[in-house]
Amino acid sequence: MPASGGESLKPSAFIPVCTAVCLLVGSTSMFFVFTCPWLAVTICPAIPPCCAVLFLFVLANFTMATFMDAGILPVAGEDEDKEDEFRAPLYKNVDVKGIQVRMKWCASCHFYRPPRCSHCSVCDRCVEDFDHHCPWVNNCIGRRNYRYFFLFLLSLTVHMIVVFTFGLIYVLHHMEDLWKLHCLVTLVVISISGLFLIPVLGLTGFHLYLVSRGRTTNEQVTGKFQGGLNPFTRGCCSNMEHLICSPISPNYTSRSYKKAVIHVRPPFLRPEIDGQMPMKIRDNGIQSLAIQDKQSSAGSVELSDIKQLKHPPPLPPKPDRGLLKSQVAAMDDVGHHTKSIIPVSIPTVPQLRPVLEAISRGSSPIPPEQLLKASEQQGNNKGPDLCSNPRESPARGNHQASVPVQAPLLPSTVSSSLQLNSLTLSSRSLNLKHSSRYASNCAAGSITTSSMLANQSSSSGNGKPSFDNLISPADPQFVAQRGAPAVSYHSHLMAHGAEGAMQRPSPHSYSPVFMGVTRQSPQPRDSTSRDPSPSLPGFLQRDSSPAYHGLLTRDLQSQSIATRDVPPPGLLMRDMTSLGFQDNLRDLYPQDMTLPMSAAARYDNFSKTIMASIQERREQEERAGKFHVNARSQALYGPDVGIYDIPSRRSLPPDNIRPAGSRGPTPPAYGSREFLMSTGILGYGMRTSPLSSSSTSSLTRGPKTSSSPLQSSSSSLQSKGRSSSPAYGPPERHNQGPPTSTSTLPRLTSTTYPTPPYTSYATAKRSSLPFSSEGKESFPLGVLK
Amino acid sequence: MGLIKDTFHNLQELRNSASLANKVFIQRDYSEGTTCKFQTKFPSELENRIERTLFEDTVKTLNNFYAEAEKIGGHSYLEGCLACVTAYLIFLCMETRYEKVLKKIAKYIQEQNEKIYAPRGLLITDPIERGMRVIEISIYEDRGSSGSSSGSSSVSGSTAR
Repeated sequence: MPASGGESLKPSAFIPVCTAVCLLVGSTSMFFVFTCPWLAVTICPAIPPCCAVLFLFVLANFTMATFMDAGILPVAGEDEDKEDEFRAPLYKNVDVKGIQVRMKWCASCHFYRPPRCSHCSVCDRCVEDFDHHCPWVNNCIGRRNYRYFFLFLLSLTVHMIVVFTFGLIYVLHHMEDLWKLHCLVTLVVISISGLFLIPVLGLTGFHLYLVSRGRTTNEQVTGKFQGGLNPFTRGCCSNMEHLICSPISPNYTSRSYKKAVIHVRPPFLRPEIDGQMPMKIRDNGIQSLAIQDKQSSAGSVELSDIKQLKHPPPLPPKPDRGLLKSQVAAMDDVGHHTKSIIPVSIPTVPQLRPVLEAISRGSSPIPPEQLLKASEQQGNNKGPDLCSNPRESPARGNHQASVPVQAPLLPSTVSSSLQLNSLTLSSRSLNLKHSSRYASNCAAGSITTSSMLANQSSSSGNGKPSFDNLISPADPQFVAQRGAPAVSYHSHLMAHGAEGAMQRPSPHSYSPVFMGVTRQSPQPRDSTSRDPSPSLPGFLQRDSSPAYHGLLTRDLQSQSIATRDVPPPGLLMRDMTSLGFQDNLRDLYPQDMTLPMSAAARYDNFSKTIMASIQERREQEERAGKFHVNARSQALYGPDVGIYDIPSRRSLPPDNIRPAGSRGPTPPAYGSREFLMSTGILGYGMRTSPLSSSSTSSLTRGPKTSSSPLQSSSSSLQSKGRSSSPAYGPPERHNQGPPTSTSTLPRLTSTTYPTPPYTSYATAKRSSLPFSSEGKESFPLGVLK
Repeated sequence: MGLIKDTFHNLQELRNSASLANKVFIQRDYSEGTTCKFQTKFPSELENRIERTLFEDTVKTLNNFYAEAEKIGGHSYLEGCLACVTAYLIFLCMETRYEKVLKKIAKYIQEQNEKIYAPRGLLITDPIERGMRVIEISIYEDRGSSGSSSGSSSVSGSTAR
């Protein structure tokens, strides 16, 4: 018997299984006692042993199907999902053999359900390869025990046919003694077996069909792979083979872990630097850097005026070059995972200051006075900072726009007077990632400036915590200035940005680290907007500077460009809500009309890949913003969705309008929940896909299916026919109301309807539908409400 | 008094030991279906803690183990037939092939932990404890030193926020 979530076992759950056991054992034993002796004598003495073996097989499979763990996944610990709780998207896409499959967040079990995994509401656990919850065995049928259930069905069918046939033969031979005990009993036996043969035969045939197609009952009933391709099928014969002969997967829940004690004691080894630098130098348009990388100088930073170095850096040449190359790689990898490892020792600032000055006198567009001033002010600045300065300045080419931004930022950073050690490039690359995420389309200027900020802060101090304080607030504080005026913009963007935006993060981009980084994006925004860090007071006061406004404008404008790239079918309907945004833009546009040009030019020097990733990130964040609230309410309804809570979305169509970003955008918590939902309404209103209606129909079919698969298959056929139009949604639900227990239907109504719109969007983890449905006109839900 | 001394002594020990800073979760790679396979992508949080090749070797070896466990072949046929014939009573006496491979995996993970990961302040948790959904790598920070840990710890700390 399965675990029932820690609650007391309901006695009513045992009725079907007890009935089944009684019928099976009782009638078979009566068959053996009353009918078999005559059969053995008259027809063949081998009949009773064969029937006995068959019956034993039936019982064994029945026992295994009843008592074997279906493949229950243990609930994830708090540490695994601490990043996911309120901001994670509801769905995460994963690529299975070239077909996009959606993994849904399970609110009870706190993880994204693996493909084919589903949450059983009866057992209240997620089950691997979930088939259905069978009341006749009072157990979930899943990965581990599906073969036993299937074999039980097969053997039971054969057994029933055998019993029925032989009983019929007996009765036909004893027509004259029909009222004798033996005959009567045999009559009862054949009537029972004949009566139950029909549904059992139907069920067996259904599962034979499922196995041949490589589907589970859940997938069949929800119509998941109806039109599309099933990535889990291996062909009919191979499916059978895998069903019968594959190794039994292990039990996850009841394992005795003999944990050996392993002592983790400092000091810890660190990876060797030599020979580990991935020399990923991509041509990102930073010509001077490429030239520098190709130089093979021996023992100095590869900057233009090397000969002006007064003191050669203490490092051997290789780490130096590696440092620079890794820096380049890190900058190249903005928006991607940075894999470079930098050396731990870096040339000191005094040693490189002459170089910096030379560069500033040379090709840098930054006024030499400013650079000198910055370098002087930084004092203890370490090498990477200076190395990055010349790198970034050539990268930007001759963009004056960056200069005024840098100017206010540098002194403010310096004024914080942090004393941080020169940190590893991974930290800086993380900042670059941060900044790329925040800066989005205002890529070059803000990224470089924020990375400058980060670099300076990182390189001017000693303590890690202070670095953290600076890095995290630095970027978002910078962003907060943008973010504050852009709040209303974001909300409107979320309204129209969400539609059609299937979240398709590649599995590889869904690393928890990346999530963690992603997750930071809204938090610092909020925190800094509410409670600005005192470390950058000067910085916060910069928003009045025209250059900063220019940045703001550029950022918003580029954001708007990014969002306009997304085809918004329902945008017309949402003009009302976007008015506020337009007002904001209008206010900002007059202030600066020239900056976008420089931004565009700046883009040319930046890697195209970085830009694309930044754009993706931005769009996803905006899109996911509306789902932030949805995520919360889904937490309430998630576990109660029912057995078949997988929406009927087929193998996801390749409607990747936007390239798949990483794991779901973390919606910034702009405004109140009601505000977000009010914008989310319009996002959903126009998205009346047939899939959503069919998914709702499939969801309502959930509880019914477990009791009568035949009914479910027939109803699935019905719903398939009707699933093409959303208009059929409400009548479909109404029609299915009576067959389904009415007590479940309202519950499903509240729980299932939130989910269907999200099948299309795949960003929210929780649903706001109860709130958002008020505003919908065309969505069929409104009919029910 | 002796108890207080012991408590202080224990606290001293704790102070010199490492503390759990963060956990990295290596997710499953579903690109080949539901067979158990983990992503070999190197997480950035481990960048400063362990060499990439070591990590990838570990994950690839684990993937090979799981592939071996789930392989359909002579051994699994035999096991299935035997189980059917004995009405599955064989499972009371014998452990399945998968379980045997799991034991090998546990041993391998322990060995890796002892030799490679623990000296670097990392610990791998057997994925079976997580339902084979993730490989959990715990990152430990040297609590005794002041900020001497690498940036990855701080990074992981910041990402853990």
